[in-house]
Amino acid sequence: MPDILRFRGPALRPFLTLAVFAIAFALLPQYATGEVGTANIANVLTSFAGIGLVALALGLTMIIGEYDLSVSSTYLLGGMLAVKTGGDSPVLGAAIAVAAGLLVGFVQGVVIAKLRMSSIPVTLGGFIALLGLVYVLSNSKSVNYSDLKVTLGLNEPVLTVFTERSLIAIGIFLVLAGVFAFTWLGRDVRAIGSDRKAARTSGVRVDRIVIGTFMSSAAISCFSGALLAYSLAYATPNRTVAPLVFATTAALLGGVSLSGGRGNPLGIGCGVLCLAILNEALAVTGSAAYVTYLVTGGLLLIVTIVDAPHLLRWWRTTKAAENLRAGFSGRPPAEAATGGAR
Amino acid sequence: MTENATAQPAAGTQPLLSVRHVSKTYGAVRALDDASLELASGEILGLCGHNGAGKSTLVKILTGQVHPDGGEIAMRDAPVELRDPLDAQSKGLAIVDQELALAPDLSVEENLFLGNFDLSLLRRPGAVRRRARDLLSRIGLAVDPRSPLEKLSIGERQLIEIARLVGRDARVLILDEPTATLSENEIERVFAVVRELVREGRSTIFVSHRLDEVLDLCDRVTVLRDGRIVASRSTADIAHRQELIKMMIGRELPPPQRSEAAGVAVGAGAAIAGLRVPPAVADFSLNVEGGQIVGLTGQIGSGTSQVLRALAGLEPDARGGFTLDGGAVRLGAPAAALRAGVAFASNDRKGEGLFLEKTVEDNLVATRLDSLSRLGFIRGGALRETARRLVDFVKVDGDRIGDTVEHFSGGNQQKIFLGRCLDREDVKLLLLDEPTRGVDVAGRAEIHQLIRQAALAGVAVLFASTELDEILDLSDRVVTMFGGRIVASLAREETNAALISADMTMSHERKEVAL
Repeated sequence: MPDILRFRGPALRPFLTLAVFAIAFALLPQYATGEVGTANIANVLTSFAGIGLVALALGLTMIIGEYDLSVSSTYLLGGMLAVKTGGDSPVLGAAIAVAAGLLVGFVQGVVIAKLRMSSIPVTLGGFIALLGLVYVLSNSKSVNYSDLKVTLGLNEPVLTVFTERSLIAIGIFLVLAGVFAFTWLGRDVRAIGSDRKAARTSGVRVDRIVIGTFMSSAAISCFSGALLAYSLAYATPNRTVAPLVFATTAALLGGVSLSGGRGNPLGIGCGVLCLAILNEALAVTGSAAYVTYLVTGGLLLIVTIVDAPHLLRWWRTTKAAENLRAGFSGRPPAEAATGGAR
Repeated sequence: MTENATAQPAAGTQPLLSVRHVSKTYGAVRALDDASLELASGEILGLCGHNGAGKSTLVKILTGQVHPDGGEIAMRDAPVELRDPLDAQSKGLAIVDQELALAPDLSVEENLFLGNFDLSLLRRPGAVRRRARDLLSRIGLAVDPRSPLEKLSIGERQLIEIARLVGRDARVLILDEPTATLSENEIERVFAVVRELVREGRSTIFVSHRLDEVLDLCDRVTVLRDGRIVASRSTADIAHRQELIKMMIGRELPPPQRSEAAGVAVGAGAAIAGLRVPPAVADFSLNVEGGQIVGLTGQIGSGTSQVLRALAGLEPDARGGFTLDGGAVRLGAPAAALRAGVAFASNDRKGEGLFLEKTVEDNLVATRLDSLSRLGFIRGGALRETARRLVDFVKVDGDRIGDTVEHFSGGNQQKIFLGRCLDREDVKLLLLDEPTRGVDVAGRAEIHQLIRQAALAGVAVLFASTELDEILDLSDRVVTMFGGRIVASLAREETNAALISADMTMSHERKEVAL
């Protein structure tokens, strides 16, 4: 395995969490009513394809220490543009959606990078304005997509558990994971989130990367919206903030830090899969919707508490306190022998 | 009168860097006035001057952060234009700032090559690891290149930054106050690396207020005063730091005056019994009487800072007994400490002290808003009057009371910071962590005087410093810590620098004395 893929420390946590979830899901029939089979795995991957790319888009901006609130709107915008312009050519519709995302990301990125503004107000403005644009484009109604061949093709099973749509989403995750693992770009993205001033002083082209990250984020989000709209054969203006909540939860579960500098696409993918498995497990056991909310919220709380820096410090100081009782480790032998202060 | 005011290296050596008649003006302030200096290959040049003397401006010009109004900079006699920090680095001029340009979430090797354009887009881990190991071995640092940077000590991080600049073939390394946060061992290590790099033909400009270190490390020292270079001498010709101080401030510094009330008990003061702050402090007991100034010293990591932070309620895991004028004070609760009359000034005035983007007035009254309010409404007249009185008290230019603090020199910022804790009737214990870090000798004398005035008013003062001169100048009692415990607690008259140094390091000689 390449050295740079050997995750250590906190970066390993999303993979371990996913492993726990996968094992628990496989053992589910032994402890609850309901069965788990390939159809359930296919459902998990369909969920992954549906919202995973939005989590990836948001996660990228979180790694550079920003937060793109507008992903919810670009997700809807991408779907709406694809449905309205991709009637004759789905590729053209998707391309227009991606181009719109690049433009939105460029404008937001330039304002944030060049004017040194916080991403929260800028992308909040973007979120509201784009939502308005989606309502204008859709005339406040769902818009159907007429090319059912495309819809059926995207949902056609591949190797039992995959679909064309889930494979496309997995492919995008892997490409970005490759960029993070095998090029200096990934390191520069994390460096910007870790300490922007230090990155700038070191020669990292901070503004370009910030703008590029927002462009990538919006383009991925738009493309994800287009994929979803094609696969459902319609686009709706009515999903508002639900994708944002899911994406944020998945990114945090995936090891991305809100303060920036930590996280990678594979970890975010693990976070998305964890949530998808959880939702599927709750569906298999026939749990009510409120259980999903309670369990998801509780899980997020646990993960963020486990990752909290103060918890680690508390653990270390507790261990140090044990050392103190056993004889202070930093105490020099001679001083210990003479009894300390005069 | 200036001494050899065009600062030149020894005759016959070709200058690596030449600064010729460089000037810079900010508004009405002439920050740098016709400054000229030369630096030879393999030379270490000390750059000294009080706060506002022009050192920072000169350093910023040399690193491309600021553009001069006039004059010329040349490398090996070829004029160069330094457009920005990266451009300066590409021309061989690089700075190691007090605030390191490293990303804590990245590994050592990722930091070593951060922003390096020589590398291809695709990462080649094997080649990078080899280059990283080579760089680390050149500076004598035995750490795994894959280690997360955040696991390294501050001193090791500074060496990583130096290694990175060496990797970029920096010919002139500018070290700006590099030792302020380092322990004695770490300082020695950094100095050894600098000397080794100089032997390779690189040159170093060492900017510091720590004059003994300047005299120890540098071949030559250039002194700036009021934006002009006023002296440049070989350090071999400077017998004592007092000579250097005289060059810096243009006069003899008066000997430190001890407050008449110093050592005179006024109130019961603070009693600390069995204080523990895992893992830094194992056992700490001390009484500080009202009106007494106790200096707490030790190497970085000895626990001095944690003692002060614990008493200010900022260490949640602190345990032990703490009373102030007889009343028990709960540890781990900053609000309880404040109510009991504890005032704390952190060693990080920018991060934990000043509101840099607020005015002098806003900063000075920030801790007094309760007493300046009635029914929750701030009394504007009383606020302005108090701010005006405090500006005079801390000796900051009263005309600049409306200026934002970020535009003041380090010394003035520190005085404004301390002004928030001083001259308050509700303060019974004043805790100061490195009260004069980054402050020049003149500013330091003024700050010491403010602290003595607080003691004179009956406040118990406990301050921590790693600078022995400050400990000896200011303290009535010197408490030395090592490994989280007090190893010596002596009246000022009973101790001296050699004794304290030995206690700080628990060196063999001192232990014999102790036994």
